[in-house]
Amino acid sequence: MKKVMMGNHAVSWGVKLARTEVIAAYPITPQTQVVEALSEMCSSGELAARFIKVESEHSAMAACIGASATGARAFTATSSQGLALMHEVLHWAGGGRLPIVMANVNRALAPAWNVWTDQNDSLSQRDTGWIQLYCESNQEVLDTTIQAFKLAEAVDLPVMVVLDAFYLSHTSEPVDIPDQEAVDAFLPRRVARVKMDVNDPRSFGALATPAVYMEMRLRQQEAMELARVTYDEIVEEWGGMFGRRNGAIESYHAEGAEILLVTSGTITSTSRHVVNELRARGEKVGLVKVKMFRPFPTEALRVALAGVPHVAVLDRNISPGHGGIFAEEIRSALYDLAPERRPRVHGYIVGLGGRDVTPAVIEDCLARTRAAAGAGNTPEREDLWVGVKS
Amino acid sequence: MSQIQIKDQIPTGELMSSGHFACPGCGGSLAMRLVLKGLGPKTMVALPACCWTIVAGPWPQSSVNIPLYHSPFETAAAVASGIRAALDMQGDQETTVLAWAGDGGTFDIGLQALSGAAERNENILYVCYDNEAYMNTGIQRSSATPWGAWTTTTPAGHPEARPKKDILAIMAAHRIPYAATASVAYPVDLIRKVEKARAIRGTRFLHVIAPCPPGWKTSDDETIELARMAVLTKIFPLMEVEDGQTWRFSMEHPGDPVEPYIKRQGRFSHLGPREIGQIQLDVDARWKMLERRVEMGI
Amino acid sequence: MPEKRPDSEMVHGVPEVAVSSTTTMANRTGSWKYTRPVFQDMVAPCNATCAIGVDIEGTMNLVREGRLVEARELLLRENPMPATTGRICDHPCESSCNRKSFDQPVAVHSVERMLGDLALEDPLPAAVVRIRTGKAAVIGSGPAGLACAYHLVRMGYEVSVFEGDEEPGGTLRYRVPEFQLPRVVLDREIERMRALGVDIRCGVRLGRQLTWKYLERFDTVFLATGAHRSRALGVEGENLPGIQYGLDFLHEVGAGRAPEIGARVVVVGGDSVALDCARTALRLGAEVQLVFWGECEKLAADPAEVLEAEREGVEILYQTVPLAIRGSEQMAEEGAREPANTISAGISGAPTGMPMGLECIRMTLEKPDGYGGDPIPAEDGRQVLSAQTVIIAMGEEPDFDLLPLDLKHDQVRVAVDELGRTSKSAVFAGGGIVEEPHTIAHALGSGKRAAIGMDLYMRERAGEKVEAPSLAGLRYGRVGNFSITRYRGDDPVRRTGEVNEVAGVERINMAHFAPMPRRVERRMKPSDREGFEEVNLGLTQKEAVAEATRCFNCGTCNQCEMCLIFCPDVAITRREGDKKFSISYKYCKGCGVCAVECPRGAISMTREGL
Repeated sequence: MKKVMMGNHAVSWGVKLARTEVIAAYPITPQTQVVEALSEMCSSGELAARFIKVESEHSAMAACIGASATGARAFTATSSQGLALMHEVLHWAGGGRLPIVMANVNRALAPAWNVWTDQNDSLSQRDTGWIQLYCESNQEVLDTTIQAFKLAEAVDLPVMVVLDAFYLSHTSEPVDIPDQEAVDAFLPRRVARVKMDVNDPRSFGALATPAVYMEMRLRQQEAMELARVTYDEIVEEWGGMFGRRNGAIESYHAEGAEILLVTSGTITSTSRHVVNELRARGEKVGLVKVKMFRPFPTEALRVALAGVPHVAVLDRNISPGHGGIFAEEIRSALYDLAPERRPRVHGYIVGLGGRDVTPAVIEDCLARTRAAAGAGNTPEREDLWVGVKS
Repeated sequence: MSQIQIKDQIPTGELMSSGHFACPGCGGSLAMRLVLKGLGPKTMVALPACCWTIVAGPWPQSSVNIPLYHSPFETAAAVASGIRAALDMQGDQETTVLAWAGDGGTFDIGLQALSGAAERNENILYVCYDNEAYMNTGIQRSSATPWGAWTTTTPAGHPEARPKKDILAIMAAHRIPYAATASVAYPVDLIRKVEKARAIRGTRFLHVIAPCPPGWKTSDDETIELARMAVLTKIFPLMEVEDGQTWRFSMEHPGDPVEPYIKRQGRFSHLGPREIGQIQLDVDARWKMLERRVEMGI
Repeated sequence: MPEKRPDSEMVHGVPEVAVSSTTTMANRTGSWKYTRPVFQDMVAPCNATCAIGVDIEGTMNLVREGRLVEARELLLRENPMPATTGRICDHPCESSCNRKSFDQPVAVHSVERMLGDLALEDPLPAAVVRIRTGKAAVIGSGPAGLACAYHLVRMGYEVSVFEGDEEPGGTLRYRVPEFQLPRVVLDREIERMRALGVDIRCGVRLGRQLTWKYLERFDTVFLATGAHRSRALGVEGENLPGIQYGLDFLHEVGAGRAPEIGARVVVVGGDSVALDCARTALRLGAEVQLVFWGECEKLAADPAEVLEAEREGVEILYQTVPLAIRGSEQMAEEGAREPANTISAGISGAPTGMPMGLECIRMTLEKPDGYGGDPIPAEDGRQVLSAQTVIIAMGEEPDFDLLPLDLKHDQVRVAVDELGRTSKSAVFAGGGIVEEPHTIAHALGSGKRAAIGMDLYMRERAGEKVEAPSLAGLRYGRVGNFSITRYRGDDPVRRTGEVNEVAGVERINMAHFAPMPRRVERRMKPSDREGFEEVNLGLTQKEAVAEATRCFNCGTCNQCEMCLIFCPDVAITRREGDKKFSISYKYCKGCGVCAVECPRGAISMTREGL
């Protein structure tokens, strides 16, 4: 069944189809519609879930922790400040190995107040132990939401499904809604490995001394590594059932490219358009979309980018004092490649606080990359801010 | 029988084990032991940061024979809400979800989550064991610290300058079905309240005074005596509030003078007769207010 | 939770999710402690002050638990005549009762009386099998003699008691009036002793029918001839006719003979003998005044009995000192009022008695509004009390005329050690002839001590190698009397290790008790008191059992479980089966809460590792 819907509602539909059992959420623009729709679904009985209307995002995540620890499939959605408020509890979900799924609508952080998109909110949570999946379209949002539960429960790690504010959250697109039966077959009810159970009383998360804490973190890391493989399998399974495969990364017109753009989120769609136009003009330009940020698809990116002379990474985020976060991660992923196969990585800071990343902005980035290449293949020492007033 | 015999009124089951890491004479440990006697094994607990984080035992140990979730400091009520929701989805209405927090986690950092849960009337039992300061971190004042008390952040030269927060009134103001106070010196009353709370649906709040020998600067063996004196002096009256409206005293409070209670505790040793007189006046004034609440229902 | 559970998912030594798999029982938190609680029964102050040496607290505990049969067995171990002592003992146990600091002392005597009366209804016991070869003679069947004989018989000896009077009981029969102690009670208690095997021969007085030569056939002799020689008042006119001495007067009444008294009787004295004389004279039909030199509270008698005497109509003149006794001639000279007609004395006496008077002076305190000061004669305090009979009750002393010459004694007492041993080998003494207060309790207690002494003596004499017991260990506390139970070592009540120290009031946690008024015994209305019927009707069994529940059980665990309930470390448990309490020192941190919360001080904190 196809339906035209906003990205936010695609999340809601995914949550419903996943037969989520406990939802705890707090309103924040531009996420609010996710939980509004879920409220409707719960009150109409379409979705048999307990919806806890908590008094903060912090409590939303805390309630999800309680529910997930007790064996329930738990979900919340948030954005920006709300995600920042959750920060402590995100660690708890990650360290506690709880398969919670959260949708985060990328929104810039205050001050100054801003409700539009950029990725600093989710990327600030890089080290909380969450899997992060960045979506490009409403269809991908819906598909990824369902996949996220499967992934989370397979590896006992929480998953954050990320979508751009307004470009996805509030933009209507046709979305193919999978049949419930098919989704049920793909994602059976959760069977917790261990849970709060009066018939098997145990404590969870007790004090761990230096003698054991490190091993617990090692197991978390191993689960993250497992998640890479597991996600590939899940994408394959989903693809086999529904025909759509949105893997950890995706290469687009990368064959023989001299410059590869690396993008995430909706900038990818705009970049596809730019690449199409440039390819039509015979320029050897391609694109690699990064969907999975944690665990970082290091090996896949090395394969995709090795031997390409120049890589231009578009970052809708900034780690102040350093640079674009994707660019940094990609540079370190490629560092071990043999020098002759190691691309020159050019970083560009674009579209912060919801500023439009138009084809012109992307072409500007490519032009700068070409210029830098012509000047002796040396990338700028610092990532360049593109589309800013001088 | 002239001796107040209580053994027949105390459930014999033990859900707490020995070997826990509480300080000798810990009121908070006894509080848990008694509360669990009232609740029985069909109980799950959300445990935020507090002394009990340690008392519950380091991994891989647990000092309680019920499921226990170690939770962030400010999240007891929220985590408990989530546990409750999951149990609801599993059709388990029998298990009691207990949030077990200290005064810091209740009066201060956890108040928001507690207020949220209470306002939603989450079907949980929230117990605050109150030792009147941040004891696990080494005795810093909380908003449950009484006026005049020394802590490491309210040194004797500038002791606690504000009265203890009236958490019972705050909880009553949420119009929850049941809120009460209890003391480890009155186990029958405490367990009766726990059993009563257990049978009620909705948010139930129990505020238990739990003396702390290291934090109060008292001997290890004085815990129960102090918990008793706190009640008898009306400093910590035993009360119940139903639906936020019907206030009731749980027993006759003789109103013993506060001075012996104050004088026994090192944390008040810097106080002179004038300050102790002031505490007495405050206790008397608060008592009048409580009496009005009991009379009128506020 | 099982102590250890398998976790199949362990990798790197940790599970996937940080869940617990064991309890905290592996932590030996008991190693933290520097003090250690010990269940240690102490001695209740009542036990320590009981001159008989009764385990009062243990008895109360058994009564509280409704174990009345065991309670009277325990009582009868130490006290041969609880129905008697429940009536007439001056019960110092109650004066020392810790409960007096809370509300009122426990009415121990009422409970004892109830048990004693129950025991009267029991079938008579079978005779004790004689397992010892020794033979003992007891001279005097007063409480000391009876107690000695009773304990010896129960130890398996053959005992003969020789009584000079016509019937056994000594002072209990010939000094205590029947309205205090009905003869049926005394008779039944003596009957029980006889049933056990105590051989009592009456009308056999030492020095007359009984010779020292005859006594040589016994291995040992207990002298308990009592103190029945009255002390003189020491004033002018004491030799006038119409003067009687208290003990003689009571002896005559006790023997069923009617002493001759006038219609107006003045008793001089300040103890229970004086009081009993006054009340007896009253019952014989006289108007009675009692002259006592001290204030009311100085009167050496149970205040309740003083009150009863006054209610019955005895006029007590306090702070009044007798100066002289005037004959009728003098009375006439001094213009004293003609005394009332002589009456026939109650029982059989013919009207006798000359009008006479007791001249005395009322005293007042030097500083009447202040405290203390010496008593001085009051202005206009001189008065003459007219009477036909003056009874002098100035105390009593023993009669040593018949004792062997080589027995060390002074004018008033035979020297004995704590086992009743006199200076003469094989001869023991107790009761009114040794140095101790002349009370029934002391008499019963001294008889018991001598029985222990005589047991040791006879066993040694029989060639047994006797290890002398620690006498201090036999005492309740430091100064209490010996306990037969401790001597024999088969205590049925103590549940924990004992320490022979008295549990003072500071060891009682009053918070665990609720006020409960002391049960008051019913007494016959003064207007209904006729003749020598018993005045004090005692408590009902139900009331007495309820009274026993007022007992704090000072110093002794009565299984209230407060320690267990208040332990923050779950370190106190009761064993399956015998329900004994045990403290797990592996986990006990030594906080001491149990010791403080023990209502009765039965847990002591001891230094750890020292």
